[in-house]
Amino acid sequence: MSIVLIIFTALIADNIVLSQFQGICPFLGVSKKGSTATGMGFAVIFVMAISSVFTYMVYYYVLVPLELEYLKTMAFILIIASLVQIIEMVIKKYSPTLYTALGVYLPLITTNCAVLGTANTAIDVGYGLLNSFALSVATGTGFLIAIFILSGIREKIEKTDVPKCFKGFPITLIAASIMALAFAGFSGLFA
Amino acid sequence: MEIIKAMLLPASIMFGIALVFGILLVILSQVFSIEKDIKTEEIEKLLAGSNCGGCGKAGCSAFAGALIKGEANISECNSTPKANKEKIALLLGNGGNIGEDTVAVVHCNGGNFAKEKYEYQGYGDCKSAEIIAGGIKVCPTGCIGLNSCNKICPNYAIDVNMEGFAQVKKELCTSCGACIINCPKSLISRIPRNAPIYIACSNNCKGKDVREMCTHGCIACGLCERVCPEKAITLVNNLPVVDYSKCKGCFLCVEKCPTKVIKKH
Repeated sequence: MSIVLIIFTALIADNIVLSQFQGICPFLGVSKKGSTATGMGFAVIFVMAISSVFTYMVYYYVLVPLELEYLKTMAFILIIASLVQIIEMVIKKYSPTLYTALGVYLPLITTNCAVLGTANTAIDVGYGLLNSFALSVATGTGFLIAIFILSGIREKIEKTDVPKCFKGFPITLIAASIMALAFAGFSGLFA
Repeated sequence: MEIIKAMLLPASIMFGIALVFGILLVILSQVFSIEKDIKTEEIEKLLAGSNCGGCGKAGCSAFAGALIKGEANISECNSTPKANKEKIALLLGNGGNIGEDTVAVVHCNGGNFAKEKYEYQGYGDCKSAEIIAGGIKVCPTGCIGLNSCNKICPNYAIDVNMEGFAQVKKELCTSCGACIINCPKSLISRIPRNAPIYIACSNNCKGKDVREMCTHGCIACGLCERVCPEKAITLVNNLPVVDYSKCKGCFLCVEKCPTKVIKKH
């Protein structure tokens, strides 16, 4: 598949949150404010981009030659966890406000299925290094788009009169599912 | 042989990857460390670490953070030992008021000797009993003895003794202040850890009235005030008040008190 097609599919047609339903935890948890949502989105892009490179290299240069493909899941989680720790250190040093704003959701990127899912997809489909990198950056950007839109919707919802039983997560989930419906219109667009 | 190869190889590969990333993390944690952060960690280690919330912050890490920013004073923490407080004051470089080493003490010794209005056979503890006509005892400031303080103490330092009133074991008390906030009769307060005596009554009524409520209450006779050689005790509102800076621990007041309200600490 051409690289442009990969990018656009990951961005819109096959959006990681709205079509593949992965990475919903930070999607719901950090989307209350626009600024934290974008911070989170960029953190996810960064983690995905770097982890795709590392996981690709470890898979094809360590695991495959030694016929240890079954260690893929363990090795990938190890790599992703370490990378998230490093990013946490960097953010803590260079932007303490973003660090306190993201709070517990930053380490949650570690166990975020979106990151592991993208790494696995890249391996399963058999992309080369450049294609995997493009896929993960585009997937991360798709996450950023989705969480940014949801944060805008949530900020508007804050000011409206939501029925008591829907306040908080229920109305957020309904908004997210309507978003998913809208994005479903893109499916098959780049087939 | 094949089995060993099948198990040893993946194990060592995983170990190798983990080692590489571990070393990377250690190196980068040094590169990205923040100067302020090291100080906060050191201060946190010196603090009591009980997360009791007595300082009003959300736990010891939050208190350490506030100390660094200058938003809090070390004297607000009563649980940290004095030696550690001095070290923290040095780290912060501001000297400052370290605050005294204190413990909590219950100002009541009525217990089974205090007359009761009714028998409480209900759910809960002192706080529940307090809602019904101001507690079980006729004395308006009498210890109810249903263990509200004991339930909240993180160190098991306070409980109701055999005589029916709450008492603090000063070796275990860290002066966190949880019982002080929780007592519905507000009978608990802080006194210096090395205080020789304390007053075990909080009743402000006149002697005759107190006598009708409890045989162990202070009748405001004034003998303690007259007998003290240091003039450390004064009678305020029918109750003795001790000036701990003057009290030398001669215990003359303890001997002279007719109702044994002044107790050795």
